[in-house]
Amino acid sequence: MAQTQDNKPLFIISGLMILYAVIASSGILHPLMKYLHTAKTADLQVTMGFIAGGIGILGALVNSVRKPGTTIIDRFVLQPLPGILLILLMAMAIRWYVEPVVKLISHSLQPVLGFKIYKVLNLNYVILGLLAGVILTNTYGIPKFAQAGVKCARFVLKMGVIMLGARYSFAELAKLGTYSIFLVGFFVLGTVFFVLWLGGIFRQPKTMTGVLSAGMGVCGVSATVAVAPVVKAKSEEMAYTIGTILSFGIICMFVFPTIGHLAGMNAVQFGAWAGTGILNSAQVAAAALAFNAVDIKTLKVAEIFNITRVLFLPIIVLVLATWFGKESGKKLTFKEVVIDKFPIFILGFLLLFAMSSMGLFSPPTHYKGKFIDFSYNERSQVTEKEWETLKAALETGAIKGLTPEQMEAVRDLVAQRQIAGNYEDRNDKKLFYHQGEQRMFQLESILAAAKAKTVEIPKDVKAAIKHAVKQVHKKSKTVTTLTDCMIWFFAFGLIGLGMQITKKAIMQAGGWPLVIGVISGTTKAVLSFVVVLWLVKDVVLK
Amino acid sequence: MTISEDPLSADNRDNMFRSLLLCTHGTAGARMAEHLVFARLCAASPGLRVTVLTIIDRDWQDMTGDDWLNSSRTHAAFLDHVQQQVQEENEHEWQRIRNAYPAAATAVFVGVVGSIEETMAGQARQRGCDLIVIGPHRRSRRLFNLEMSPGLRARTDTLLLHRILPCPLLVAPLQEGVA
Repeated sequence: MAQTQDNKPLFIISGLMILYAVIASSGILHPLMKYLHTAKTADLQVTMGFIAGGIGILGALVNSVRKPGTTIIDRFVLQPLPGILLILLMAMAIRWYVEPVVKLISHSLQPVLGFKIYKVLNLNYVILGLLAGVILTNTYGIPKFAQAGVKCARFVLKMGVIMLGARYSFAELAKLGTYSIFLVGFFVLGTVFFVLWLGGIFRQPKTMTGVLSAGMGVCGVSATVAVAPVVKAKSEEMAYTIGTILSFGIICMFVFPTIGHLAGMNAVQFGAWAGTGILNSAQVAAAALAFNAVDIKTLKVAEIFNITRVLFLPIIVLVLATWFGKESGKKLTFKEVVIDKFPIFILGFLLLFAMSSMGLFSPPTHYKGKFIDFSYNERSQVTEKEWETLKAALETGAIKGLTPEQMEAVRDLVAQRQIAGNYEDRNDKKLFYHQGEQRMFQLESILAAAKAKTVEIPKDVKAAIKHAVKQVHKKSKTVTTLTDCMIWFFAFGLIGLGMQITKKAIMQAGGWPLVIGVISGTTKAVLSFVVVLWLVKDVVLK
Repeated sequence: MTISEDPLSADNRDNMFRSLLLCTHGTAGARMAEHLVFARLCAASPGLRVTVLTIIDRDWQDMTGDDWLNSSRTHAAFLDHVQQQVQEENEHEWQRIRNAYPAAATAVFVGVVGSIEETMAGQARQRGCDLIVIGPHRRSRRLFNLEMSPGLRARTDTLLLHRILPCPLLVAPLQEGVA
């Protein structure tokens, strides 16, 4: 009986999910879903409700008939299940109801305010989920039954990053990797030494500046947690540093996407900036999804930068350990400093990348996770209106500043009404595909250049080119499913992490760590913004 | 315990409180409580048994915030370091009290991990204390004060504490020059 009592929350949450799935499948909610623009996901809502609710009921029944133990199934499935389902329920409610309602309210308030709140604050389901987690933990608190499940958020987020590995090509990883090594290398090391220098100027203890430099330079609280035992930081130094980093990072998470939109940054630029300038890596993921949650280009770039700087963590720990080891006379082992701090999940990311590159998730024709179809058919064409727009723009010379190759690609698009190879080469599949690919690359580089404001093209021409590129992309089902799962993993993980940001931790901010943190964090954010706008322009992502 | 008619008589002062729990973590407010206990109450009642309690805030566990990159081993290493560090700092604080107040020589010093209110009430109950002494409420100037205060910034939830108090609670008055 006592066990059944303990299972009440699990029974209730699972029951609610199944009840919702039954109601949604009956069609009663269809008008509401249409109003909220979520009707397209009705099948997914029903499926997720039945599956998650069913698993919950099964778990609750198993818990009711057997004694709780310490087996792997107990620790990793049965104990965290109520918390996992609670977060999943929150994620579903936020994605299908809260976000659409926030959008509707923003629209209706636009005439009064003059702007859309959800656009300015980037209130999509990712940010709303994180906020919901923060609000819950700082008001009612995390319910006892959900505490084990909330701890799974870290693991789920790592799984999301691992799955993201399947979405990169060699070319993307090489290009973005090069950018990130230079940018992150410069800013990580630069910020670390800048904080240490500021600490010297303000005559602060080396233990404090050591722990703060890692947090401000590498990856926020994660770096602080890793470095604090190495530099033997005092309790107040850790408290002040963590409070400073958390509060500065949360402000960045909201401010960065808004500035990115205002500055007209493209996905690559924003991803690079967020991945360099935002302190906590969870906040980087949140900001990238806040900037654009519809496609994952921004997230892909941001995560490469994120991973690069995480790889810098053992190096920074080694540098600080050497420095402090010399001073304290204590020698730390290579294992303690580097191997124990290496983020193992990155190996999973690389494994998925290798598997994807070998074509395990999609046939070889599914280029970079998306099948490009250059064959002649109506589905691949631009609309009549778009074709007229492009034709008129070419005739009147409204498109300026393009390279000859880019201009040729636009001319061919007008001639063929779609991206394709040369008509006369259509029987030579390899050549035809190669020509189409080259044209698509040129058109995408026009879009990237327009976003970076290095060329001037009319808005409707840009939209037509964008649509032409989209028309030839046929997504692989395996990769689409993998991406959808990954997005849910990120949404889930960020709600769970939001639940671990307490008001008390944020309120620790203050003193010299706050002064040095604000100076170094702002400098890093501003300089990386300028450098990214200056250097990062033309990476074309698939 | 017998109490005579005059509540302020020496007999009453001696009998009213026999065992006292002093909660301190070295802040300016807590030092006022230390002063009240060792400089005044102990002087007035020489037989008073004092337990100095320093709570190691359980919320240190939440200070890893939204860190998701580190392994559980790194988290454990961080929490071990925090506990070791706080214990060292507590020892230092206790030595400061012993040096400042001769009456503290006979006091018992304990450090306990837990939530502030529950630990205070629990320790008072467990040790049979008949009075708990804490420092006065002071406005936190953490954001504007460049000097760091020791430990975690934490407030006692008096409403929660009042509900579970096993004995009277004495809040030391604000005194200039004590801290």
